Amino acid sequence: MAVQDIYQAVIEFKDAEVPILVQTELDAGTDIQSILNDGLIGAMDEVGKKFSEGVLFVPEMLMAAQAMKAGLAVIRPLLSDSDAKPAGTIVVGTVKGDLHDIGKNLVAMMLEGAGFNVIDLGVDVDADKFVKAAQENKAELAGLSALLTTTMPAMEQTVAAFKEQGLGIKVMIGGAPVTKAFADQIGASGYSEDAPSAVTLARRLMEG
Amino acid sequence: MPDRMQTLTPGELSLLHDSTMDILSNTGVAFNENEALEIFRKKGHRVEGKKVFFREAHIREALATCPSRFRVKARDPEKSVFIGGDDFVLLPGYGAPFVTTPDGGRRQAAMADYDDFCKLVQTSPYLDMNGFMMVEPHDVPPRTAHLHMLLSSILLCDKPFMGSPVSREGAAQGVDMLRILFGDRATEEAYTVSLCNSLSPLQFSSEMAGSIMELARAGQACCVASLIMAGSSGPVTLAGVLALQNAEILAGICLAQAVRPGAPVIYGSTSSAMDMRTGGLSIGAPELSQNISATARMADFYRLPSRSGGGLTDSLTPDGQAGAESALALSTAVRSGINFVLHTAGTLGSYISMSFEKFMLDEELAGMIKKMVKPLEITPESIDLEMIRQVGIGGQYLTQPKTFKLCRTEFFNPRLMSRDNFDSWNSAGRPTARIRAEQEKERRLAEYEPPETGGALKRDLEKYVAKFKG
Repeated sequence: MAVQDIYQAVIEFKDAEVPILVQTELDAGTDIQSILNDGLIGAMDEVGKKFSEGVLFVPEMLMAAQAMKAGLAVIRPLLSDSDAKPAGTIVVGTVKGDLHDIGKNLVAMMLEGAGFNVIDLGVDVDADKFVKAAQENKAELAGLSALLTTTMPAMEQTVAAFKEQGLGIKVMIGGAPVTKAFADQIGASGYSEDAPSAVTLARRLMEG
Repeated sequence: MPDRMQTLTPGELSLLHDSTMDILSNTGVAFNENEALEIFRKKGHRVEGKKVFFREAHIREALATCPSRFRVKARDPEKSVFIGGDDFVLLPGYGAPFVTTPDGGRRQAAMADYDDFCKLVQTSPYLDMNGFMMVEPHDVPPRTAHLHMLLSSILLCDKPFMGSPVSREGAAQGVDMLRILFGDRATEEAYTVSLCNSLSPLQFSSEMAGSIMELARAGQACCVASLIMAGSSGPVTLAGVLALQNAEILAGICLAQAVRPGAPVIYGSTSSAMDMRTGGLSIGAPELSQNISATARMADFYRLPSRSGGGLTDSLTPDGQAGAESALALSTAVRSGINFVLHTAGTLGSYISMSFEKFMLDEELAGMIKKMVKPLEITPESIDLEMIRQVGIGGQYLTQPKTFKLCRTEFFNPRLMSRDNFDSWNSAGRPTARIRAEQEKERRLAEYEPPETGGALKRDLEKYVAKFKG
């Protein structure tokens, strides 16, 4: 099965090969949804799983995400409006006062790999900017990152700002000093300990 | 090169040497072995009773024929090793009568434990040679225990191994087994290294002197080593210990060179401090590491390969103390230039027992230290200014092709040292290093496959060992 080849190429980090394989499948008339879900996204789920198990390393996970995105670029223009519906839209950023972005970038790439529409706001993002960006992009989710304990209060303020705005946007948080208990305490919708489990969490939050 | 431990100046090295010459020529060294005394007499040494005296010329003559680097051939030629110069080998623990159990207790060591350690050495990515008497098995007759251990060392592992210096006869039997394995080539060059200890202060037992002669004659390497307890079997100062052990080691080396000029020898010491409160030996002491560093310098002074201990500790369980003491001694040995690091893995409680979990942890430590001393490659390619320019200020290197390409090979990948975050560690049941080591040991033993040994060879070796039973 040739969609399986796409899946395999993503898992083996073949970023040059994936777009060619996707094009071959399109030319053969294979269903776009199958290429997307069984090939590209399915592969990234496996990559995330292997990363969480410690089998794959960070640069390898990123390379797989790059390969996946290269494949996605081929089919994106061909997607009809209904086909193109992303798994969800999420604004992500590192909170106010914090300039650390490696963890946040990993989460963003894994979410993209899972078919989410990711709006990356960068670092040092204040509560207003988060809320505004979420409104503008009609986001269902927001992802807040912090590495410094000193910036954890900024997470709390951002969660409060989303609540105040009242659009029901769900906020997930993460970062080295962050815990599930802290997430519960500040009223966030969820917490995840690494990038692949952020994908699982985002999917769960999308289901309601 | 600044290394704060290597303080010995050329003047101090000369003073140590001259003091040793004084000991050797005026006090002498006792050899409880008649043939050895006869050999020394023939070489023109003054011999009084069992006491042998050495002049500087004797020492110089012996040193002149010692190789500064030699090969130990393995059954699998790919696994042959060099000892001396920049080359060093790591070996498991030696001589433990007990095995420490995972619950912190201990039991008498059995042959099955010896076999398991052989299997772990065979599958070890970091240990270069198999040991001997890694444990002293209680369930085989003491008279033939060395034969059973040698047989296991040969059949379960095809890395080079250590010989049996338990007695003159035991050493000769080991050479017989080498002849079965390698035929006439067996005595042409070294296939084994044997540990031949002095009996401090200033004696060699008949077993050890006999073993040195038997093994050197057969071209097998002898590690002539001293274990002085500073304050009881030697002077309380390390300076005195260095002079005294130097006399013992050089005397033993003279015997080896007298029976076969050019026989490979190693300058060995694992002397350390006596614990002043108990009178026991302490091998977790910082003085052990000081002695390791100085021993490496003394051996280098004579252009001889050196031996010291490695992952040594006084702790009775693989805990933080065991890890700290072992890491200090092992890293000192490797960084100081020791060429033959015995006791790299497994030893607990001042040599009293071996622990499988400690073995696994020490082995990982050995891997880390091997990585630490690997010279950095500094080239325009490894600096890669172009990549640094491209990423510029505030960019990231995670998605650079070079990072992807080297992510599995550039850094040491731990198997046992945890780098988990709290949540995943917590949800895995908070496993300690000891528990991870236990699991990894089980996995390694389950996946172990013995090396190829021709059926006839195996039969001949087993037949040889069976001859001495009953």
